[in-house]
Amino acid sequence: MFTSTKSAALISVSTLLLIHSCYSAYEHSLISVPTNTLPLDVTLETLVSVFLLCVGIVLNNSQELKPISWSVWSGQLERERGSGPYGFLEERLGFLDIRGKRAEFSDWVKTGNE
Amino acid sequence: MASSAEERELLLHPVVPENVAHNTKTITDIRSVTCSVFGVAAGILGLESYSGFVFYLVGSCLVSVLMVFMAAGGQPSRYFRSSSELWTTEVLSGSSLASFILTWTLFFGLLRV
Repeated sequence: MFTSTKSAALISVSTLLLIHSCYSAYEHSLISVPTNTLPLDVTLETLVSVFLLCVGIVLNNSQELKPISWSVWSGQLERERGSGPYGFLEERLGFLDIRGKRAEFSDWVKTGNE
Repeated sequence: MASSAEERELLLHPVVPENVAHNTKTITDIRSVTCSVFGVAAGILGLESYSGFVFYLVGSCLVSVLMVFMAAGGQPSRYFRSSSELWTTEVLSGSSLASFILTWTLFFGLLRV
């Protein structure tokens, strides 16, 4: 949660910086002769904003990666959710009392017929 | 049972295919967004010919370093099958280079022509 707000703030600030440097470069191209190079501060602002934007984008996606090893992954799931990827196998029924079930069924059939 | 060393390794330490695909997709997302940003910056800086591609390669390396230390926590082998995957995925193949050139030429044209 904290990381996402931090990365969102970083992305918005650096996007503003990038837009500002883009506008500065545009104004500079209007005023000066076309062969003139870009001023140093605009260049630095562009580079800094791109770096911050990359950091923000990577930070925004940093919670997404999942471990690929089965042992690490299932251990993490069991710690977080209480059951791993094979959790359904641990909730199966034991042995059925098949004679008891048949007796119940025959009782039900007999009482239904009466 | 396991013929090659690679199969033996895979049997001893099985991987989750969904997570491999998910991680690759995350990298691809990061790459495609950052490549457009690099194109914008290259257009603003007015880079031409080889210097633009050098800028792209340097930026991709920077993003790879950021991913190793911030997204993967310094352990790329925990999230990727080969260590080179983080560095090479989508850098020269796929749509990233194309989107870089697209935004590069677009902003170069907007600001200078």
